[in-house]
Amino acid sequence: MAQNPDELRKLGQRLDEAQQRRVSRPQGPPPTQLGIAGRFSTELVAALVVGGGLGWGIDWLLGHFGIHTRPVFMILCVVLGAAAGIRNVMRAATEINARLAPGGDEEK
Amino acid sequence: MAMHPMEQFEVAPAMGMEHPLFHLFGYPIYFTNQSLLMVIVVAAASLFLSLAVKPGRLVPNKTQSLAEVSYEFVANMIHSATGEDGLKFFPFVFTLFVFVLFCNFFGMVPGSFTVTSQIAVTFSLACLVMVIVIGTGFAKHGIGFLKLFVPHAPWYLLILLIPIEIISFLTRPISLSVRLFANMLAGHTMLAVFAGFVILLGGAGGALSALSILPMALIVAIMLLELLVAFLQAYVFAILTCIYLNEALHLHDQH
Repeated sequence: MAQNPDELRKLGQRLDEAQQRRVSRPQGPPPTQLGIAGRFSTELVAALVVGGGLGWGIDWLLGHFGIHTRPVFMILCVVLGAAAGIRNVMRAATEINARLAPGGDEEK
Repeated sequence: MAMHPMEQFEVAPAMGMEHPLFHLFGYPIYFTNQSLLMVIVVAAASLFLSLAVKPGRLVPNKTQSLAEVSYEFVANMIHSATGEDGLKFFPFVFTLFVFVLFCNFFGMVPGSFTVTSQIAVTFSLACLVMVIVIGTGFAKHGIGFLKLFVPHAPWYLLILLIPIEIISFLTRPISLSVRLFANMLAGHTMLAVFAGFVILLGGAGGALSALSILPMALIVAIMLLELLVAFLQAYVFAILTCIYLNEALHLHDQH
């Protein structure tokens, strides 16, 4: 046990420093170029697929109720899906930027 | 004899389990090579982690510090992505991370089976994540969770933006699962294709046989790259889970 107040203060300082490190530690491996490219392309394609699928589903559902909208909603949702894809890519880019920012020069 | 590069991804009943376990809605349910690998992975991960920390040394040896480092790594990841209150999801994210990591690494053993190269597995994992994210969101914010789909914008733009946000949200399980699945599938196919080159060149005879060293060297390089990808994809899966959890916990405001 450290009875000496000086030692205790030093211990406190070290604990504070450790806590600081814990909060501001740079996270994980920096994303590789290939990883970023893969991330962006899947986001774009997945959004298109989901949009198209959703539109197709709405058309199919309405068709069951005798309302024949067939390609209308699909076309509409593919366009919305493309927009969502771009939104996703922008969001992913912000995330990656935020991850790279604290380190500063981690970019290759 | 060159094997087909996609043959390694075939799901078939495990050896000695050719009879279906039971029938569900008329479909036979088999214990497949994939199920076997998953059982092995879960057993190995549990065994490794529990044995590594069992002695509880104050100064850890190599195995124990490996377990401790992975604990710290995931805890830091959750803390930085979701803040203090995300730490109650530690058991979930840690399990997910370790499971995907071990699946990827066990898939690297020649002759074994890569569970994460099956879209059925990765999509189930992604759906599990989404169910937990949506459940957390509604539990924490009630119906206000739906505000996640309403960005700050004038009302006439919202007519356009809300469907976009909804599609963007629905995209997540797909992009989450496709990324892991595609990376593992592509990597292992590439390895098999180059392995096929080695066999073909080696069998060609004469000077061509000597050339088979080139694809062999490439395989070694790709193997190293795949080990990195195996870790990276497990990390990406876990960090995206954290990011989605963060949104469910804190909606639009950053933590």
